[in-house]
Amino acid sequence: MIALPDVLAAAERIAPHVVRTPLLPFGRGWLKPESLQPIGAFKLRGALNALALLEDRSRGVVAYSSGNHAQAVAYAARLHGVPAAIVMPSNTPEVKVAATRALGAEVFIVGITERVQRARELVAERGAVLIPPFDHPDVIAGQGTIGLEVLADLPSVDTVVVPMSGGGLISGVATAVKAIKPDVRVVGAEPALAADVADSFRAGELVRWDPVARAETIADALRDEPSELTWAHISRYVDDVVTVTEDEILAAVADLARRARLVAEPSGAVAVAAQARLGGGGGGVAVVSGGNVDPALLARFLAT
Amino acid sequence: MRLVTIEDIRAAAAAIAPHVVRTPLLAFDSSLWIKPENLQPIGAFKQRGAVNALSRIPSEERARGVVAYSSGNHAQAVAYAAKTLGMTAAIVVPENTPQLKIDATRAHGAEVFVVGITERESRAAELVEERGATLIPPFDHFDVIAGQGTVGLEICEDLPDVATVLVPVSGGGLVSGVAVAVKALCPNARVIGVEPELAGDSAASLKAGELVRWDAHDRARTSADGLRAEPSELTWAHIKEYVDDIVTVSEDEIRDAVRQIARRTRTVAEPSGATVVAAHLNRSLPEGKTVAVVSGGNVEPALLASILG
Repeated sequence: MIALPDVLAAAERIAPHVVRTPLLPFGRGWLKPESLQPIGAFKLRGALNALALLEDRSRGVVAYSSGNHAQAVAYAARLHGVPAAIVMPSNTPEVKVAATRALGAEVFIVGITERVQRARELVAERGAVLIPPFDHPDVIAGQGTIGLEVLADLPSVDTVVVPMSGGGLISGVATAVKAIKPDVRVVGAEPALAADVADSFRAGELVRWDPVARAETIADALRDEPSELTWAHISRYVDDVVTVTEDEILAAVADLARRARLVAEPSGAVAVAAQARLGGGGGGVAVVSGGNVDPALLARFLAT
Repeated sequence: MRLVTIEDIRAAAAAIAPHVVRTPLLAFDSSLWIKPENLQPIGAFKQRGAVNALSRIPSEERARGVVAYSSGNHAQAVAYAAKTLGMTAAIVVPENTPQLKIDATRAHGAEVFVVGITERESRAAELVEERGATLIPPFDHFDVIAGQGTVGLEICEDLPDVATVLVPVSGGGLVSGVAVAVKALCPNARVIGVEPELAGDSAASLKAGELVRWDAHDRARTSADGLRAEPSELTWAHIKEYVDDIVTVSEDEIRDAVRQIARRTRTVAEPSGATVVAAHLNRSLPEGKTVAVVSGGNVEPALLASILG
């Protein structure tokens, strides 16, 4: 498990390369717009921390991801002068594939259940280092820096709502928040169509959903499931999990464009949808985790 | 005529800090950063000038409230500032104002009066007379200009080696304040104003060396509804003194810039706010690190959908 000092060290390491995102008032609560990071998602924090701690840089790094982690590793690798090979599932939105290539990474497209295996092959062939999207203490510590910033900017915060997929983001945020202010509630948000963590939370143990079932949600970045490592953090620190419908997610995307002038991807809007369900978020902060949505798709959400 | 100084802007920064978002610079491409003022709670930079102006109203005059006239964002700004500082606000808006902006102004608790586009100043003057309220003009006001100047202060703090700052020009309050701050803190940086071609009166004025007036109906042709006003003597004095150049952009270039801003910075810009990025993408401007002030993001969802789709 990671601890507060890991997060504090990560904050210092990544500060020169990430946007210090401000809290934006939204209804009765606030937003933490990680969609404003250079790659359009919080994932840059974890990837930068992991790359900064890399010992052998010459053989490069490998990552597998539904999209935002791919861009994060590609961006961080370029910044550190390390070659990057990225494995992406075939259902990844084209905008994310193109963005990853544009950052100088070599991209491999595979079936959605094959990505871990292909990434391991690449690691074996090249002697490269695998940077997992969430199942890694350095990645979790990097994501946790969001929790530090929320507490610094809003000492009166009572609830932090965080989207959940593999659980790296919420693990880091919850570790930081609970270490500094144990009374602040940390709530996870999931699409009802990929609610495996909500099930796990109720069952008190990791419940697995079929990956094809989890892929039904429009929130394409929330189709992963926790690892033993992230589940250990979640079960220890997270207070509650809220699930939201696909309609609530799309309404939150439109609401963010209209009232916060943020372009959020469906996954990035899930915590905002959950906050709305919790009563509008008086005293609460919702993490908008990413904004990589095809503009034409956003136009469709806005038109409906 | 007394011009705003960097000391006025520093004082404004201290006064407004609790009530505005300290917007970060966001990378757009290898040489351009945007200053996303569309992320302010009311969706535009105007909040800075309004909060500063209201905070300087003497306490004995506060109870009689404030009056403002505006094509939209200043209306919301004054309504928001009045609510924040516990004052009442009456807002006069022209009839071609987007409904979104009218609704948002009402939502902040202000009383809204919709009038013909050439009548807004006279109606505001009547309201001031009737109520003994304080008029907060959208740009022709020392404290408003000082408040807008805090944008320039923050740009120079975050990117001290900035070479060029691009600022939209309408009544000129934003560009006046920003130019004062930038010339004081980053004296080597150029400040370039940007206007729609269809409302290019300030560009024409700068070329002529004196204020050139365009008909209000001509200026209203642009989709950039926040850029249909014209400078006052006060803002023109600042522009003449501190602004290096003013360039113009076409309506198509503005629409494309709205799209590019959504894709590359994940923020929603209104056409007026996107003019500066249009200038970066389509005009040959000085090389080096450039900051474009994206002044606002209050665009009707249907219009945004048609631009993005």
